[in-house]
Amino acid sequence: MMQDRIPAAAAFAPDAVARTGPAATKDPRPPSSAGPGKQAAGTGILPPLLLAIEGLRVRRAARPVLRDVRLHVARGEVCGLLGPNGAGKTTTILAALGLLVPETGRVRLFGEDPLTAPDALRARLGLVPEGDGLTEWMTAGDYLQHWALLQGRPLGPEEAAALLDEVGLAPPPRLPAARFSQGMRRRLAVARALVASPELLILDEPTNGLDPRGRRQLLELLRGLARRRGVGVLLCTHLLEDVARICDTIAVLVEGRTVAEGALGELVGRAGSQRFRLRLDGPLPAEALARGSPLPMRVVHQAADEIAVELEPGATPATVWRTLLFSGWPICEARAEGGGLEAFYLALTEPGPVHPPQPAEAASQAANDAGPVS
Amino acid sequence: MKASVPLAVLALLATLGPAVPRLAWAAPSAAPPASAPLKVGLAPDPANPAAPRMGDRMSFHTTLRNPASAPVGGVMAWLTILRVDAGHEEAIDLEDWSANKALTIPAMAPGGEARSDWTLRLISPGTYRVLVSAATRAAPVPAVGASETFAVAPKPVVESRRVLPVALGLPLALGGLLALRLTMAKGDDDA
Amino acid sequence: MSPALAIARREGGELLCSPRGLAWLLAAAGVLSGFALLLVGSTELGLLDNAQVVYDMAGLTIALGALLALVSGVDAVAGERERGALLPLLATASPRRSIVLGRLGGQALAWSAMLAISAPYLWAVGSTGQNLGAALLGLLLFGTPVALAAGAAAMALGARLRSARAALLASLIALLLVASPLLLGPSLRQSAIGQGFDAVNPFSGATNALDAMVIDGQGLAAQGWHLALVLAWWGLAYAAALRALRPPRRPGEEIVA
Repeated sequence: MMQDRIPAAAAFAPDAVARTGPAATKDPRPPSSAGPGKQAAGTGILPPLLLAIEGLRVRRAARPVLRDVRLHVARGEVCGLLGPNGAGKTTTILAALGLLVPETGRVRLFGEDPLTAPDALRARLGLVPEGDGLTEWMTAGDYLQHWALLQGRPLGPEEAAALLDEVGLAPPPRLPAARFSQGMRRRLAVARALVASPELLILDEPTNGLDPRGRRQLLELLRGLARRRGVGVLLCTHLLEDVARICDTIAVLVEGRTVAEGALGELVGRAGSQRFRLRLDGPLPAEALARGSPLPMRVVHQAADEIAVELEPGATPATVWRTLLFSGWPICEARAEGGGLEAFYLALTEPGPVHPPQPAEAASQAANDAGPVS
Repeated sequence: MKASVPLAVLALLATLGPAVPRLAWAAPSAAPPASAPLKVGLAPDPANPAAPRMGDRMSFHTTLRNPASAPVGGVMAWLTILRVDAGHEEAIDLEDWSANKALTIPAMAPGGEARSDWTLRLISPGTYRVLVSAATRAAPVPAVGASETFAVAPKPVVESRRVLPVALGLPLALGGLLALRLTMAKGDDDA
Repeated sequence: MSPALAIARREGGELLCSPRGLAWLLAAAGVLSGFALLLVGSTELGLLDNAQVVYDMAGLTIALGALLALVSGVDAVAGERERGALLPLLATASPRRSIVLGRLGGQALAWSAMLAISAPYLWAVGSTGQNLGAALLGLLLFGTPVALAAGAAAMALGARLRSARAALLASLIALLLVASPLLLGPSLRQSAIGQGFDAVNPFSGATNALDAMVIDGQGLAAQGWHLALVLAWWGLAYAAALRALRPPRRPGEEIVA
């Protein structure tokens, strides 16, 4: 996966190293948390960082909101920013945009301090905030063209229509945005963020209000932007399913601290593994558990009326169940076990006394606590 | 000159207001107060409308001259407008008519001359005469220059035939535009 | 097209294309119509001479224009923030100065619309048009800085206060105070405090200039102090708006929440 991502990123921005400066060559991430998602296999080359936050401490309205945040988003990477309500995710985004001044810590956006960087730097990022903030009386096409002017990259009507098509708003509605459904508004907000072909996309709950098809379409779009164009994506969401579906890395914030950061697969356990309990209403066929099964799964536990299996990475549960049923397995129910990202996240964010751990320690501790995947 | 004396007294009473008692009784004396040794010339501006009507402006130019051989100090000159229509004789309150109501000159040398302009806005119809009076600190009885009378023709102030179309038409036009906009938006919505 | 022009065009478009903007213009026209009809219908007001009527109508236009700019200024920052539109705007490549200038440009368009609406009323109540030119010139020269200063000050206030409602309320109270010379007029100048207030108040500057030009027939050249006064207030308000919207420099400074 990474092997084809690095060249794609390089093709998208051949001057990446020159533009991102020191951050492109000096990655502060410890190797343990950077993980495989951060390093091109066999090359030892780290993809350039688009956003790097270290030891961020921010106070708002005399209250400390961020205490120690670290976050890194590399080119061509989708990073999920997770945390309970009030953990400081939106504040982290504001600091990344240079809209808040940290008390301590360091923020680098494309290798530069966003507080002192030239305004043009912001044309390289796209933002989808939690609220849409659309201009209600404008049509989608007019609005995108207007926004492109603000970003200093004018857009023709055809290009605007193509962008709307890309986010699933085709044909472009002639209505003013005030009459859009919630899903249409989110799509337009995403199109607005893409208007200047950003290198970094920051999205705060982008799938809110989208129907399942729209949600899948948007996630595919984000993944495609990262894979094909080398766009770095920071996805701030509460939907763990979305994170599991497209994120390469995650950072978990709890009470203003990063308690885990790194490659999703490494943090959660074996990337992509899935454990299920199959309830049986009869005995298994005699050869069911014979060695050398071609199915992408292994049995981890067996009882009289239930069997626990773990699917291999990439296996589609529905296909496996269908094959098993054809083979005579008396399956009456398949239930996913509480494991993976959800258990990892819940373990990290469980209320209780706060023991600010070092990020790497926290990540490995949380991974161990997550149990089912260890 | 005889005719101008009662006019001067009337002008003094009409325009000085609170200053009149002070001038009259500040220094009680058996001797009559002295007349100002000044010459006042008053001429209308050639550009004034020949047939003025309400709302027009008229200008008058004044020349104050000290013909005496001694200097005079504390010269005051002031404007007076008198309505002279029979049965409507009155001194006009200058508040709305003119922003130039009076002027002072600290000192005038013998033979010295000072000029000033007075601009009037014609507020009401009628026949009027403009006076400019001048007195000094030592000689409070003014010398007066008077203009010819002039008639101000009446004019309707606010004409309903001009106001009503605008006052009713503009909101209606904007309301129509708003309704059209809302209807178009609803049409788009239905489509 | 520069970002400032793009923002100004959007603001102007909102005024002329959105139902909300049109409703504002309709309300302004309604107020002017109400006053014009009072002049026709009221015996007492009917006695006012043309210059006085034109002066009153021009003063009313400045007050309405300032109100329109003020609402637009509060909405441009505090309102946009509450709708979630300020954050994406500040995250664009547009410099803050362009954003402020663009918003002010939108307010200038709103004021232009107000001027365009008021012109027929001035003509209608001015009878033979003796004072129309002076009134329009006065409105353009003295009303424009006053209206734009109100808009810029409202932007600054909207950036400082946490809610749009609080910003609107504070701005309206300030406008009522500053515009009081329109109602109090000469009686304001009967005390030392009133004279001081009159000397520095931008509304007084504009209305006194209109008084001098429309009623007293004075030339524009005599209005230098009044012009300097309203322009100074405009500059101050613009600087305040720019300062309120500048990027944060110290911990704790923010305008997006």
